Amino acid sequence: MSTNRRWSSGMFATEDWWSVWIGLAIFAASLLALAGVDLVGWMARPRPWEWTNVASEFAWSKLFSPAGASYATWDALASWLTTYVVFTFLFSIGAYFLRLDVRRFAFGFSVLFVITWVAWVAGNELHLTMVDATVDGRNRYDEAALSWGLQLGEGAPYLLALFAGLALGNFAKGFAATFAEAAKPEWYIKTAIVFLGVNLGAQTMDASGFAVELILTGAAATFVAYLFFWPIVYALARRVFGFKRDAAAVLASGISVCGVSAAIATAGAIRAKPVIPVTISMVVVIFAMIELIVLPGFYTAFFPDQPIVNGAALGMTVKTDGADAAAGALLDELMIARNLQLTGGQWQAGWILSASLLTKIWIDVFIGVWAFLLAILWIKKVEKRGDAVSVGAMEIWFRFPKFVLGYFFAWFVYLAIAWGWPHLAATLDTGTAVVQSPMRTMLFMLTFVAMGAITDFSKLKGMGRVAALYGIALVVVIAPIAYAVAYLFHRGLTPPLAGP
Amino acid sequence: MSAREVVLSYEGGRWRARGAGLDLVHGELRGLEALIEARFAAEHAPVDVQLKFDTAALPRWLQQYHGHYCNYTLHVPRRGRPA
Repeated sequence: MSTNRRWSSGMFATEDWWSVWIGLAIFAASLLALAGVDLVGWMARPRPWEWTNVASEFAWSKLFSPAGASYATWDALASWLTTYVVFTFLFSIGAYFLRLDVRRFAFGFSVLFVITWVAWVAGNELHLTMVDATVDGRNRYDEAALSWGLQLGEGAPYLLALFAGLALGNFAKGFAATFAEAAKPEWYIKTAIVFLGVNLGAQTMDASGFAVELILTGAAATFVAYLFFWPIVYALARRVFGFKRDAAAVLASGISVCGVSAAIATAGAIRAKPVIPVTISMVVVIFAMIELIVLPGFYTAFFPDQPIVNGAALGMTVKTDGADAAAGALLDELMIARNLQLTGGQWQAGWILSASLLTKIWIDVFIGVWAFLLAILWIKKVEKRGDAVSVGAMEIWFRFPKFVLGYFFAWFVYLAIAWGWPHLAATLDTGTAVVQSPMRTMLFMLTFVAMGAITDFSKLKGMGRVAALYGIALVVVIAPIAYAVAYLFHRGLTPPLAGP
Repeated sequence: MSAREVVLSYEGGRWRARGAGLDLVHGELRGLEALIEARFAAEHAPVDVQLKFDTAALPRWLQQYHGHYCNYTLHVPRRGRPA
């Protein structure tokens, strides 16, 4: 039994809270760099490699190496094994408190970890990543003497991880079931989002005005989107598809607001049978995957000069935190590679992802308020039982996404240190660099594989009316309006250029 | 006014309320609330019955998506008074 009674309910019993604990624990470990102690530099990081070079003289160190300078002398395999042991241990502790089968979880995590690393290392092969462009007078594509290349930039590992997960989840279901206990994309992505709070701190130090503008316009764009999406999709569900009032309300939230969690929150608010959000959630998860596959490539191909607009539009369009953050990360890498091809200019990594994520975070935060208001409205106006039933404001807190607290806490701590003790800012950036990049990227990779593995497209069978509504609402209502709103607030904004 | 706490879940296509000496089931939530009101109206009214949804009753795969269902309070008046 698991109920929300007090403000502290679920602090050790939900993935949401455990993403905060694990994310902040690693962030705290990285902060010891300020005292001259590197506790995170053992993290392994894939290296760019070229297959003929590796085949002619194999060495693990050509594929990956320790990320921290103070661990540079470590053997590559020792670094990788340490990475495996530490992350398996941390997530297994969480699994214990989540009342999962810890043995099955640890085994499943191990399988997931290996698949993730195979995709991550393979995706760093130069024929997949290297972009043919001259930057600061150098063309690394020519220097590497490549005769061909897909030029996907750092998006290549993400695409490989995604397709590996999807292949397993749809064509090797028996094998995928062996690691199902650990296929928790929401947990991994929320932990990665806490790490992104550190990233946002570093970004704010580089371009504080731009970061604040992203945060504020993200909130405004979200508010505008709410005003349009929900009523239009609700009317579409009722009048065109003939859904009952409760199903239409849950569908409107699931399709137009923030996916699964919105569908559940809305169903609770209007006291619908849980079977309604469960059914709708199955469709939401599958469509989120379709959005993840299609939209980053679509935006990159058709709107290569609107990076921040594209990111924010993704945040309003793609449902579920995992799919949105994953799509944002993929868009970030594809857009950077595309811009490099087109202009020779290299944008700083992470800004497009931040645009996507900040928009989604505002949507996540507001769903609690929306569900609370909807509950009151439903009781008083629809059921007309205002005297017999009441809902407490505590519901807003119960519904509040706790990983957002971790994200903003990491951001504030980073900024407080960097602004309070400016002489430590460089050490802070170096000390947390491992958290900002390889650790965060690995959790994104785990998310891609896990999300692919749990997306079973065959579940769309028998969902005809719900799937049709979702598809029409997405193509005709949500994606165009989201893009228009994002364009209104973010047009012309581009990330700062990366240093030489 | 006293208060009671009841855990609400959805099992096998029916709503179920457990706690405060009750274990009731009904196909419709309004029907379940009527059963709860009938039980408390006789002995304890007026009483506030806090219904806390058991999130463990949601399918396991769904729980990672922050599956908080709404908690709410049912106000049970003395018998003979309109709700």
